[in-house]
Amino acid sequence: MSSAHAVYAERPWSSQYHDAQQQSPRSTEFDNLPALLVDSADHFSDQKAFTTCTANGMNGRMTFAQVDEASDAFAIYLREELGVAPGTRVAIQMPNCLSYPVAAFGVLKAGCVLVNVNPLYTAPEMEKQFIDSGAEVLVIIDMFTDKLAGMLSRTPIRHVITTTISLYFPPVVRPIVYYIQKYWSRMIPDCPVEAIFLLDALESGRRLRQAVGIDPRDYWKDLGRSDLALLQYTGGTTGVAKGAMLSHGNLLANIGQIDCMGRSHIEDGRECVLTALPVYHVFAFSVNLLSFYMSGAHNILVPSPRPIQNLQRAIQNYPITWITGVNTLFNALLNEEWFTVYPPKHLKASIAGGTALHRSVAERWRRITGTPLVEGYGLTESSPVVTFNPLTTEPRPGSIGIPVPDTEIMLVNPDGEPVAPGEPGELIVRGPQVMAGYWEKPEETAKTLRDGWLYTGDIAVMDADGYLSIVDRKKDMILVSGFNVYPNEIEDCISRLDAVQEVAVIGVPDDDTGEAVRAFVVKRGEITADEIRQHCQQALARYKVPKQIEFRDELPTTPIGKVLRKDLRAEYLNRNAPQ
Amino acid sequence: MLSPTQEALLAIMMVIIMFGMGSSLTFKDFRIAMRHPQAIMIGFASQYLFMPLIAFTLATVLGLNTVQTVGLVLMGCVPGGTTSNIFAYFSRSLLSLSIMMTVCSTLAAVLMVPVILDFYTGDVDAQFRVPPGNVASLLFVLLIPTLIGMWLRRFNANAGAVSELLGGVLGLLVIIYLLVTWLPGGAPLLRETGWETYAAVIGLGLCGFVIGYWFARATGLNRVKARTVSLETGIQNGPLAVLIVVITFSGQLQVEMMAIPVLYSVFIVITSSFVTLYYRRRNRHDELLRDQAKIEPA
Repeated sequence: MSSAHAVYAERPWSSQYHDAQQQSPRSTEFDNLPALLVDSADHFSDQKAFTTCTANGMNGRMTFAQVDEASDAFAIYLREELGVAPGTRVAIQMPNCLSYPVAAFGVLKAGCVLVNVNPLYTAPEMEKQFIDSGAEVLVIIDMFTDKLAGMLSRTPIRHVITTTISLYFPPVVRPIVYYIQKYWSRMIPDCPVEAIFLLDALESGRRLRQAVGIDPRDYWKDLGRSDLALLQYTGGTTGVAKGAMLSHGNLLANIGQIDCMGRSHIEDGRECVLTALPVYHVFAFSVNLLSFYMSGAHNILVPSPRPIQNLQRAIQNYPITWITGVNTLFNALLNEEWFTVYPPKHLKASIAGGTALHRSVAERWRRITGTPLVEGYGLTESSPVVTFNPLTTEPRPGSIGIPVPDTEIMLVNPDGEPVAPGEPGELIVRGPQVMAGYWEKPEETAKTLRDGWLYTGDIAVMDADGYLSIVDRKKDMILVSGFNVYPNEIEDCISRLDAVQEVAVIGVPDDDTGEAVRAFVVKRGEITADEIRQHCQQALARYKVPKQIEFRDELPTTPIGKVLRKDLRAEYLNRNAPQ
Repeated sequence: MLSPTQEALLAIMMVIIMFGMGSSLTFKDFRIAMRHPQAIMIGFASQYLFMPLIAFTLATVLGLNTVQTVGLVLMGCVPGGTTSNIFAYFSRSLLSLSIMMTVCSTLAAVLMVPVILDFYTGDVDAQFRVPPGNVASLLFVLLIPTLIGMWLRRFNANAGAVSELLGGVLGLLVIIYLLVTWLPGGAPLLRETGWETYAAVIGLGLCGFVIGYWFARATGLNRVKARTVSLETGIQNGPLAVLIVVITFSGQLQVEMMAIPVLYSVFIVITSSFVTLYYRRRNRHDELLRDQAKIEPA
């Protein structure tokens, strides 16, 4: 074994674990997700589990017992009424709302495989994913059913179930929200295909349960850790959309690892977590929906965090103790007066994931809320969490922290050989949370999974204590006259300017230097391109200073708020294509 | 003249409207808005400085009789109406500023309305005067539902949001209700009413829009804020003025004086709709210009 190998094998980070992180979390006791869900519901039965809060404060909520009962009914409906077989893929396409946990938990309890579909997808994107996953049943929010017109016959989908944001809202409020959505905002089109409403499906499930005396436990009691639970679609490290196969074991392991990471700041049954990121995304799915459900937290589901004012009532009306988000979300909150003047009083900690957390955002967050905002790192292929910053030690700005328990990591060079600590290398990961592979894509799987190691495509460095920092995405690296420039570093530098609200950096073709650094800046105050360059010159080597600066109103982002550098690049290349 | 039942119904509707207005924001919103009081103060000034002055000037210039003058000045003194928020929303102005201005002028009304009313109509014949004490106590009573509304928003968000909506809808319905209850007694009066009266009730709103806008611009507010102040200044709480007339006067005098706020309320809905359409176009136009200006060559 080389000396570099030995460094990683010794796990220099393990001394950083807090006592609580050494204990086995509850999720290790179960063989499948439904067992954990039912156990949590028994534990916290009458406590509030989920609340959906709309922009004007209208809300509906469900207790753990209600979610459990309704998801049982849905499982029975799927298996008995629709007659789907165990292992059948069931697609769910909706923003954060109370129907999500009912449908998703129901799918898992039926022994089926959940397929999360982004509700903002276009019809062709949806069609592709339905066909690729082979989903036979679709549960979809009423707002987007018009996209189904003429498409279903080309997909394997046989049954459509619709639902609405205001489901489970109180009697007077529910019709008001529905009719405003339908007739005022005209957000709800007529459904062009034959479909059943979720409440009717649940009713039918309940009737069958009573009439035939079904015990939904029979559907899932034999499921094992290696059985498939979720197909989570991702552009992944190679750009082609594909479904990461996450098993019950993958997700249970990661829920436990996430719990370890937050344990010092979590009291079972006492937490209230703000879920502004969509739960169809793997980050909110594992962290908010599953892990916090296990610890009996009250989840505040916000259907849409944009514009950011949509979060105001949720933050003011509930005793939020945890917030999960991405850099853009935290940054946006810090730009809101209602947030900075009255930051949430009960807040204990916040986690950022999805994309690099800017140092300036983390520092301002700490100053304004008095609580830590720490960065974790993960990817769809690893359910997702790989590393975290312990909340029990001083946060290390700019670091993604240390690997979660039971996880091995290495940094390797292009030949797959480990690099010495302090040297940048591609981060590779091995652990119980790493997926089995991509759904029906053996070649893609072979590129990403080698000898049990997940190749992340991210370049990282590790310090002597085992703390990791992401240098950048391998493919986002900019080559300026032969020098490597990492966009994250430039973005971090520019975002420290008070007049800058958001920034994204990409490389663009340049006649002199091969590639040149181009910054896209969203202003908060008044600032000129020259002032930005001057600021950069003080902190960065000359070749890293942006040659081009473009001011914009907003940056393209993914549904969870990751800035899409690839879209900026495509847009730029399009605009500047040779005539 | 309104029957006791109709009076009671009007009072109940007013309570619900005030309650709904209170529900549109929380004490926290209020404290945050007060950190930048400039726009609110400008709106406040144009509300209580210019509107009564416009009303008094119009009444004098157009030669209205004493009853109509008192009615018009009262119309100029009352705080901003909740319908201004609906128009602010449609005109793509600043809804939050509109709500805040309505609430501030309503909270201050308990002091401002009696004082200004007394200033302009203190010397008219006692039988036509609106006693300041009456106005103050009515406005004070109406503060209670407003404050309960604000508290409710915090305590039960669902009930708060529902009553906000209810208050907004009722704000428009009450004008129809007023017209319907007033018409049987007031119809003969309409035929005798000269063009001066119509010019006065329509002119009050229109002058409010114009002066509100230019005053806000002159004091340095941007166009979007100025349009919000403009709508807020021109649109008064007509039903509140009616309620004050109803509890103060009776018989033919009541019918005659009521004519002013009732006609104002009907016409303001019409003029506001046109102004809103115009502002909507202008606001859109400004938004586009602003976006254009941000694209700076690299």
